[in-house]
Amino acid sequence: MNRAALLWRVASFAVAAGFIALWQLIANLKLVSPVFLPGPDRAWASLVRGFSSGDLWSKLAGTLEHMAYGWLAASIAGIAIGAIIGSSRTMRTYVAPSLEFLRPLPVSAIIPVAIAMLGLTQAMALFVISFGAIWPIMLATIHGFGAVEPRLYEVARSLQMSRLAVIFKIALPSASPDILAGMRLSLTVALILSVVCEILAGLDGLGHWVLLSARAFRSADLFAGVILLGITGYVTSVAMSLAEHRLLAWQAAQR
Amino acid sequence: MASAAKRLEAVPGMPAPQIAFDGVTLVLGGKTIIENLSLGVRPGEFLCIVGASGCGKTTALRLAAGLYQPTNGKVNFDGQPMGEPRREIAIVFQDYGKALLPWRTAAGNVSLALEAGGMPSAERPARIEELLRTVGLPGHAGKYPSEMSGGMQQRLQIARCLAQEPKTLLMDEPFGALDAMTRQGLQDEVLSLVAASGATVIFVTHDLDEAIYLGDRVIGLLPHPGRIGIELSVNLPRPRDQLSTREHPEFLRLRRQLFDFIKATEQ
Ligand SMILES: Nc1ncnc2c1ncn2[C@@H]1O[C@H](COP(=O)(O)OP(=O)(O)OP(=O)(O)O)[C@@H](O)[C@H]1O
Ligand SMILES: [Mg+2]
Repeated sequence: MNRAALLWRVASFAVAAGFIALWQLIANLKLVSPVFLPGPDRAWASLVRGFSSGDLWSKLAGTLEHMAYGWLAASIAGIAIGAIIGSSRTMRTYVAPSLEFLRPLPVSAIIPVAIAMLGLTQAMALFVISFGAIWPIMLATIHGFGAVEPRLYEVARSLQMSRLAVIFKIALPSASPDILAGMRLSLTVALILSVVCEILAGLDGLGHWVLLSARAFRSADLFAGVILLGITGYVTSVAMSLAEHRLLAWQAAQR
Repeated sequence: MASAAKRLEAVPGMPAPQIAFDGVTLVLGGKTIIENLSLGVRPGEFLCIVGASGCGKTTALRLAAGLYQPTNGKVNFDGQPMGEPRREIAIVFQDYGKALLPWRTAAGNVSLALEAGGMPSAERPARIEELLRTVGLPGHAGKYPSEMSGGMQQRLQIARCLAQEPKTLLMDEPFGALDAMTRQGLQDEVLSLVAASGATVIFVTHDLDEAIYLGDRVIGLLPHPGRIGIELSVNLPRPRDQLSTREHPEFLRLRRQLFDFIKATEQ
């Protein structure tokens, strides 16, 4: 089992290395103009330069900050609203369908509305990011709260547990696998929207860096920013998986 | 209308019933599930309920727990209207897998009842250990329910119920899903736990032998709608013993009577 996992890991590294080699080859052969496509060597050099000068650090910090605030706000609001809707059957039957209907609405459609109301500000970014990121969390919470084993509510009734105790000791832990899965999905949404907001509102962050690099035809810097965004997405989702794994250790025992 | 509560109270020297069904009728979804059921359970009594599948045993137990409210008639507990479920009445569900919190360890599951009872956290560990030892689960405190066998999970559920320090223990086919050996062991443990705590028990089972082996009294329900069809007093000496009790002529006589009753209801 462990051996197989190791082999998969090695294989995926080999594929990634293959892609980078192919990229280098295309760049070296100048199949695409170097103005638009730098080789991995130049992108890497630009990444190192950006970090040593400190520019990229502050951009990265900006993006992480936008992402984190938006995601946290979405998590708190999404879990709270989801819990209220999910713990009542009437709310689930009447409200949940319209939420499912609203969800596919592209968040980009509300960006102009947010800009009109809040201007090109951090507040606008926070609103847009959390609005986009709230859906997976809220819907997962509604589902999780609706799927609590009814027997456990009967146990709670016979123990005369308070409403608050029922929520925190029964419903929330029971829904936690769903909620955490929703939070993981939202992480990606929050990153995407952070970049979009930075580009639109010129807020300090990797989105802004990528935009400026593109305008100045500094393709190596542009790619450095894109690579860094990819790494950010990857690392945050791995961190989330680790947290999930820890919090849901009881589920591992179940299998 | 004959009132079970009054009937029992009227007998001199007979204690007032702890749980009293008085002309209880329950209609669910337009269907009469239980009709005019009157029944008194004395404090400390071990009452077993048997009957064909679907005759309303679980429903009767849920009425006794306060999980259902009667459509007609009354259910009283210690002379007071039952109302909502209460901590003094503990229920052991048949589906132990669903009644335990999978995200809490054995200790955590027992703790749930202690927390609900308002026990300070400093006092809990000692009490949890004691309860787990009582049900034969010492050293399993850190295990999750999913890491335990069916018998162990049911013991754990019983431990949680004991943590409620119930006056009444309601058990719905608690050993129905367990193998014969485990079941016999648990029967004896339940008997000694109940003898030690003095709790009143209503025990629902499919197994006629189990009902006679455990009970002071056995009630057989008739189906559609659920009502009492037979009532047998079990005058077998206690403590009961898996071998000698089951060979006792009285045991065999009661068993015969109960089998004939069940057979007749199935036709
Ligand atoms: N919520 C409900 N709504 C409508 N009918 C119900 C409901 N709960 C139970 N019933 C019906 O009531 C009857 C008695 O059910 P109950 O579960 O009490 O039977 P039981 O004697 O416990 O059966 P078993 O031995 O199979 O557990 C059944 O016919 C069942 O279909
Ligand atoms: Mg039943």
